[in-house]
Amino acid sequence: MVRAVQAGLAKYFPDRKAILVNSDGGSSDGTMDVVDKVTIEDFQPLLISQRENLFSKIVTPYHGIPGKGSAFRTIFQIAKELGVKACAVVDSDLRSITPEWIELLIRPVLERNFDFVTPYYLRHKYDGTITNSIVYPVTRALYGKHIRQPIGGDFGISGRLAEFYLTKDVWESDVARFGIDIWMTTTAVANDFRVCQSFLGAKIHSAKDPSSDLSAMLTQVVSALFMLMEEYPDKWQEVKSTDPVPMFGFQFSVGLEPVNVNVDKMTGMFRLGISELGDILKEIVSAESFTGLNEVSKADTFSFSDELWARVIYDYALAYHKKVMSPDHILKTLTPFYLGKVASLVIEMAESNALEVEERLESICSAFEKQKPYLIDQW
Amino acid sequence: MDNIFLEPLKRFVQKIAGFLPNLLTGIIIIAIGFFVAFFVKRFFAKISIFLKIDRLSEKIGLDQIIKRCGIRGSLSGVIGKAAFWVILISFVTMGLDSMKMLAVENLLEAFWLYLPNVIASVIIIVVGYLLGNFLGRAALIASVNAGLALAGLIGKFVKFTVFIMSATMALELLGIGKDTVLIAFAIVFGGVVLALSLAFGFGGRDAAKDYIDRMLKEKKDEDDISHI
Repeated sequence: MVRAVQAGLAKYFPDRKAILVNSDGGSSDGTMDVVDKVTIEDFQPLLISQRENLFSKIVTPYHGIPGKGSAFRTIFQIAKELGVKACAVVDSDLRSITPEWIELLIRPVLERNFDFVTPYYLRHKYDGTITNSIVYPVTRALYGKHIRQPIGGDFGISGRLAEFYLTKDVWESDVARFGIDIWMTTTAVANDFRVCQSFLGAKIHSAKDPSSDLSAMLTQVVSALFMLMEEYPDKWQEVKSTDPVPMFGFQFSVGLEPVNVNVDKMTGMFRLGISELGDILKEIVSAESFTGLNEVSKADTFSFSDELWARVIYDYALAYHKKVMSPDHILKTLTPFYLGKVASLVIEMAESNALEVEERLESICSAFEKQKPYLIDQW
Repeated sequence: MDNIFLEPLKRFVQKIAGFLPNLLTGIIIIAIGFFVAFFVKRFFAKISIFLKIDRLSEKIGLDQIIKRCGIRGSLSGVIGKAAFWVILISFVTMGLDSMKMLAVENLLEAFWLYLPNVIASVIIIVVGYLLGNFLGRAALIASVNAGLALAGLIGKFVKFTVFIMSATMALELLGIGKDTVLIAFAIVFGGVVLALSLAFGFGGRDAAKDYIDRMLKEKKDEDDISHI
């Protein structure tokens, strides 16, 4: 990671001063030491002229509440103090990062005056399902921008936007703890900063943490999404159409690692949710959505339509807004129905190629856009 | 003859005559109390509309809690009714006190001494009910998300355990069968746990084996999906 960043800066921005910041959350595996010591000794094999005198590092633990938000805050504060023009932030567990990522995340800011560069990855058709089925369609329908990875984790920002983020009072809240990615994207779009996307190729992480809990993850992401709806109601209610955002980078295709999916387990969870959470669900979703979910559960062939899914998500947003019960209970009941939608997509897309999958996602987005008047009407 | 029949009758009439003003005073106090309570209730209703208490209660979810307690009506209605009964009971007590009846006075004294326990018990029962519902629902949702087929049973078990515990505490506070209630609760609770253990041990050996096998198999069939 450190070498890729160093090579990227040396290759694409040889005449610019650059600084690498490791904002550490108290890792005990020697990360800070590694970041501090690792460097490219010889640039010749990379066909890059040496420019070590323009590159330096800051390795620092961050302060504040634990979480990604506090790590970002430290980076933005350093950016502000140094008066940086552009800043690229990348996840530390990436295995597929190349020097080109640094160029693609920084150059749109430096040379095209964009403020926020979101990533565009190639991912397996079954990966990123929370993004594909909830975050992307909802963000696109609400704020009118086709940002394919609103919670990508890797991004480029202008110094101006970093300073703007620091003026916001979220750094000690739950947003800083777990919803910082969607907060940054929404804040940039809602405040009319210039947003674009850069094609980065495949995104491959280190092996996922086996203890990561889907329900907690889903709750965190969706609660951040709903909290932001509370913050910008006038903004999203006035948006009537959606537009693509500029895309940079050469688009290519790659072979992706296969992904195992247990559809039976997902549909089983969905049916268990319908049978056991029925009474709670009646308080959250509309009668129409409740009937629809029951029909999906009873049907011989499992199929969860996009229209019903959009309606269910909007019902959840309304229940969260109207506080029909504890917000945590509302969001946690979503897990089985989310798994039902994922199972339905997996069944439908079993034979689909990447292009067909993107077309399928367009259909989901279109359902969310069509149902938006219902959300506004009931808000 | 006069001494035998007329004297007691005279004394009785004198006592009644002596008691009648007190009775009248008591009735007047209770009647005034009824009117005061009625007007205070109306006053609260108007003030609640002016202060938009019902809208606030809806916003913070208090009306849902009231509904779940089985109480019909809005928060302003509940406040009005509570004020009505507090005022009426106070005036009734004053009225009965003014009648200067020894038995009633003793009864009232005992009532006032016992009242804090009753109020505390009602609060414990209501809090226990709400907490039982909340924790029962949390347990149900967590069990469903963990894919447990017995999710409904787990949710109900948590809900009723919390409620029974609060009821036990309330009864103990009221002094009703203090130790008996506690011991009965311990026996029933211990019995349920023992029965479940035995049922699982003897009757559910095959089911347990199937369950563990299935869990192990599911571990192998775990998804590789990266949801984010």
